[in-house]
Amino acid sequence: MFYVYCLSDEVTAEMLDGARGVAGCEPRLIEFDGISAVVSEFAETNIPVTREHVLAHERVVSRVLSHTTPLPFRFGTLAGHERLESYVVSQKSSLSLALERVRGAVEMSVKIIWNVEEAGQRAVELEAEAVAKVAATAGAGTKFLLEKRRAIACDELLKERAERLQNWLEKAVNDVVKEAFVQMEPAEKLFLAASHLVSREKLADYRARVEKARGELPELHFLTSGPWAPYSFSSLFS
Amino acid sequence: MIDEELAEFEQTELSLLETLDHVLDRGLVIAGEITISVADVDLIFVGLNVMLSSVETARQVLRERQKKALSGER
Repeated sequence: MFYVYCLSDEVTAEMLDGARGVAGCEPRLIEFDGISAVVSEFAETNIPVTREHVLAHERVVSRVLSHTTPLPFRFGTLAGHERLESYVVSQKSSLSLALERVRGAVEMSVKIIWNVEEAGQRAVELEAEAVAKVAATAGAGTKFLLEKRRAIACDELLKERAERLQNWLEKAVNDVVKEAFVQMEPAEKLFLAASHLVSREKLADYRARVEKARGELPELHFLTSGPWAPYSFSSLFS
Repeated sequence: MIDEELAEFEQTELSLLETLDHVLDRGLVIAGEITISVADVDLIFVGLNVMLSSVETARQVLRERQKKALSGER
């Protein structure tokens, strides 16, 4: 059984020299029709999600990323030789397209945190007046509906603000980003998580853009990380 | 000192959460060959929100302790 880290059509054995993978095993390459899988031996049939294992997975993928851009596998991928060969050979054209898509690029991550209470405060203020006018004379049912309306208005305003900030971030990095993948949860503190696929030669420019953007909105907290292997951009075209 | 310790804790935990976010929830999948089950949990949102709350709580607790210690010294 192999633990599988990533696929690449440019990786060489020298790039893995001295690397240590999951369970301390040395990673190596197995080539299938021009695409190499980076694997290491693994004796068990499942792998616990431990800090050590997760970091070992990422360590090997990062090693490859420091030389070339691979398609990373999700943590926990175990496969026998035949199963792996069958996967790579049967998906060859999709994998080649996916490798072209990410070639020469890396993934960068931007997460934005806001104070949900403050962000929703404006909606509370807008609704408070309307509620106060009616609530004094309203029955229990009307009060319940007013409260519902207030909650919905807050959610809508948060969503609107989150979308505005998403557009603002997109505009800030648009011309240095190949692709973007964005997740939003307006009701949460961490309301926006963006993954950007960035060409290596534009990385310095990208970082400068993000730095400038975060300076424009000091009330928001930014978490930035990368470069990562393109985990968010490794889905296969069918 | 407290802020430094919390900043270090934040940084270490954030690095791990960021790694978890990437390696557990994304990447290539060979159908039927993933041996762990985390598919329906958006770990980074859950994890970071839990962490942010715990950092805030830790900050409050430590500041309260610091206040008490200072008032006790007077």
